[in-house]
Amino acid sequence: MQIKPILAALRRHKAGTLLIAMQIALTLAIVCNALFIIQERLAHLSEPTGIDEANIFVVKNEWVGAPDTIKVDAMMREDLQVLRQVPGVQDVTPSNSYPLRGNGWDDAVKLNPEQLQDTSGATIYFADEHFIDTLGLKLTAGRNFRAEEIGRMDMRYKLAPPVVIITKALADKLFPDGNAVGKTIYLIGGPGTVVGVVDLLQAQSVDRWASGFAYRSVIIPERLAMSLGSFYIVRTKPGQRDAAMRAAYTALFAHNPRRVINDDDGMLSFTEVRSRAYERDRGMAILMGVISVVLLAITAAGIVGLTSFWVGQRRKQIGVRRALGATRDDILRYFMTENLLISFGGVLLGAFLAIAINLWLVTRFEMHRLSMVYLLIGVVILLLLGQGAVLAPAMRASRVPPVEATRSV
Amino acid sequence: MLKMTHLSKVYRTEVVETYALRDFNINVNEGEFVAVTGPSGSGKTTFLTIAGLLETFTGGQYHLDGVEVSNLNDNERSRIRNEKIGFIFQAFNLIPDLNVFDNVEVPLRYRGMKAPERKQRIMDALERVGLASRAKHYPAELSGGQQQRVAIARALAGSPRLLLADEPTGNLDTQMARGVMELLEEIHREGATIVMVTHDPELAARAQRNVHIIDGQVVDLAEDPRFHHAVHAARANSPA
Repeated sequence: MQIKPILAALRRHKAGTLLIAMQIALTLAIVCNALFIIQERLAHLSEPTGIDEANIFVVKNEWVGAPDTIKVDAMMREDLQVLRQVPGVQDVTPSNSYPLRGNGWDDAVKLNPEQLQDTSGATIYFADEHFIDTLGLKLTAGRNFRAEEIGRMDMRYKLAPPVVIITKALADKLFPDGNAVGKTIYLIGGPGTVVGVVDLLQAQSVDRWASGFAYRSVIIPERLAMSLGSFYIVRTKPGQRDAAMRAAYTALFAHNPRRVINDDDGMLSFTEVRSRAYERDRGMAILMGVISVVLLAITAAGIVGLTSFWVGQRRKQIGVRRALGATRDDILRYFMTENLLISFGGVLLGAFLAIAINLWLVTRFEMHRLSMVYLLIGVVILLLLGQGAVLAPAMRASRVPPVEATRSV
Repeated sequence: MLKMTHLSKVYRTEVVETYALRDFNINVNEGEFVAVTGPSGSGKTTFLTIAGLLETFTGGQYHLDGVEVSNLNDNERSRIRNEKIGFIFQAFNLIPDLNVFDNVEVPLRYRGMKAPERKQRIMDALERVGLASRAKHYPAELSGGQQQRVAIARALAGSPRLLLADEPTGNLDTQMARGVMELLEEIHREGATIVMVTHDPELAARAQRNVHIIDGQVVDLAEDPRFHHAVHAARANSPA
């Protein structure tokens, strides 16, 4: 191997060597963290909601005027009946919110009313006895709500339902040693007895602040009857969602035109709900991807540029080496090894830099610690990029003929 | 050792063919010190580059140490250059980024020699040219004469069968040139085969035999009367 003389030669070209090594180091540091962020975002956007997304759409219904709670509840029940008559509709439930909506009602859950510290945070879903079937949830313990348990809820009422259904994630948190069914939990307004446990139901928000209780939800047997309106969650038979959406819109207005269903977000298929919920994450992943590609391209261009310059500068020297017995492969290997040595220096420095940037992001933006796998992936990418970038100029160098040694210029 | 028969080298462009060497014949025996002379553009350097396998030829035959080289591939030519030929260039051609030791080491590394043997040969070669104490110096820190001695050490380190020198004193002042020439003569006395290209009649006079080239062909030295007389005068003035 020619490592010692190559290192000796590099010591004589400190500026170019350091410049490329620094560029590689910076690129590695940024690309590693960018890849890590991309992976986190992608993992985030593939988190399951636990519901039958392919066959669900949501209607955001607002009433015109200011009808009281009793009237609103009656109108809602009529709407639910109307929607159930729409061809292709399998079931309907009213709710204050739904997974991935972005905001809604969250509450603290305690096991004892005297507790100063909450046992857990949780998302609150107001629902009727159709909620579990409509969303396609799986009841793993206990029972569903009964029709007679469903109440009428206004924003001014206390949140103290007699019975609740909770998600398994919340049950595991609250009662890690045993069955949650029959136990009492305390919400802000008072106690509620757990009558059922559903397997999986994601929270309304996918933002970082809600990540602590992402799958911990409490389903309350109340119809939220407000003049401001609420949501109808509709589940259709497979393949009939889009047609049912159009028919539902027409049917609702035909039954009662004194309502507003926005063109923008009044009726959303769940595919669109998911797309909107993760718009920022997707955007961030794309941005990070673009930044990484641009940085890698700039680094590759830098390596090509510097090596091409060095090949031009050392043309005579290459000819001398060929005259002294170097084969074309020896010359190719020389430049590849030279690049590898610079890249090794760069990635070593870059690894420290990547960890430093990540630590800063961890303390500043509550990001997770950078997995060493991403550092390794980054190192491999940079080393391969370097070798790829140097290949063309190195091949050009290997084609310098030995007779170049005798030329005077 | 070196035998070229009816050798030709033609440089072709779309419109013209230029013969650098034409029906070129030369035979250098083992242990000879031959000076190849001739005016500028006569084909001396072309002869040297072909003799050193730095360039291919167009026609004829070339046997080096008994091997017909026209059919060798690039790698085989590199191997022969490395093992059998030592080059001494007019411009020294040391690698400026490497110190003296590393410069002498270059051809030995390409031979795949182990480090201890390389070190031994390098130090022997540097001792031979009187520069062992400058092993860690860079070419820029040496005089022209010293640089050429390093180049000679580099050529000798591999124990080549043939030394090819291209105007070895062309870039040196008289005193340094004399030193380098004495070194070459000493190396020759120890049994080396040397072919030296030069246009200097004084240097040519110190070789055992002169081969004169005009227009790409070997001619009798008498065909170039001025050079012929200059060589004879130099021989007459030579202390040896």
